Amino acid sequence: MSERIHIVFIFAVLLLWLSAGAAAAAETGKIQTLPPLSKPFAAPDFSLKGEDGKTYRLPDYRGKVVVLNFWATWCPPCRYEMPSMERAHQKVKGEEIVILAVNVGEDENTVFAFTGQYPVSFPLPLDLDGSVVAKYPVIGLPTTFIIDPRGQVTHRAIGGREWDDERLFDQLRQMIKPPGGPSGESR
Amino acid sequence: MVSTMLLTAAVASTAVNTGIDEEARLPYWEIVEPGVSIRLVQRLPDQTRGFFQARGFSVEDSELIAQGCVFQTVFKNSSALSEPDTIEYNLRNWVVRAGAARRGLKTREDWRKEWSARQAPQSAQLAFEWSLLPTRQTYRPGDYNWGMTLFDLKPGTEFDLDIVWHQDGRKRMVRLKGVRCAADVQLKPGDL
Repeated sequence: MSERIHIVFIFAVLLLWLSAGAAAAAETGKIQTLPPLSKPFAAPDFSLKGEDGKTYRLPDYRGKVVVLNFWATWCPPCRYEMPSMERAHQKVKGEEIVILAVNVGEDENTVFAFTGQYPVSFPLPLDLDGSVVAKYPVIGLPTTFIIDPRGQVTHRAIGGREWDDERLFDQLRQMIKPPGGPSGESR
Repeated sequence: MVSTMLLTAAVASTAVNTGIDEEARLPYWEIVEPGVSIRLVQRLPDQTRGFFQARGFSVEDSELIAQGCVFQTVFKNSSALSEPDTIEYNLRNWVVRAGAARRGLKTREDWRKEWSARQAPQSAQLAFEWSLLPTRQTYRPGDYNWGMTLFDLKPGTEFDLDIVWHQDGRKRMVRLKGVRCAADVQLKPGDL
């Protein structure tokens, strides 16, 4: 009898464990989405000074896949996704994928202080007056656009993501390879 | 400490979760339905004062916002990409019910006019605008926003909120009952 109870108990624990795993997988699957735009559009160009003093021009990245993120230091989901964006940046080194995280409306000192808490090594251009974010269909932060090697905005993610998720990476890597070609056009 | 109560609204019968938000350590009201979740978390007037003063608002203007019943609102499309569900909302369709009064929410656009009239600094206006939940939004699977909503009620006021959205073209409406604006507690260092 006790052996039977033991087996039932083990079965119940196993079932619970499997369902918890499935739920976690489903939840992860729900969050890590990169919805395509029904109407891709040409990415509006910009030239912005970065927190590091360098100037970042979007046209300089033509031929690469650009992950263009709009964010602010006070925005909780923006902060949450920064570490995963840094991990993603480390993963894609040597690949034709770049991350540009455009800060909206904050000055160099504020962003510099932020990077003390959230160290990142990708460019943080500063859109001080909000003129660049106004050129893009952004109505909440963070919003991230994916720009293909031809300069077309093809995907948009509203809210944070785990940017080092392999499924997101696969989608980005697919964009480097044009149909029928081994690699994207060069810069 | 999470309690769940069933509220029967005139428009929809849905479970409203209430409890203490783990991160903010303040009360929340939340609905979770297939493909969508909406959570309102109290913000203390003192938090709001500090936040907006740090972004360039005058003491008077920060006070105006802080005394206006501010919530952090998290609106999510939680459907899977394999089952695409588009969610749209417009804050102008939401109704605040406090006592006998019925009114809409003051949106980014309304505030823009007010800040312009009060000659608030441009950088402060920009921070304010982006801090608020967008007036209208369309979420694809996995999309979400965090943003403040302002209800223009005194601290400590209790109210009901009719939340309206469209899910795959179908109109949905849920009434959050007994939502309470945070009291104006002045925090001291180490209280949070």
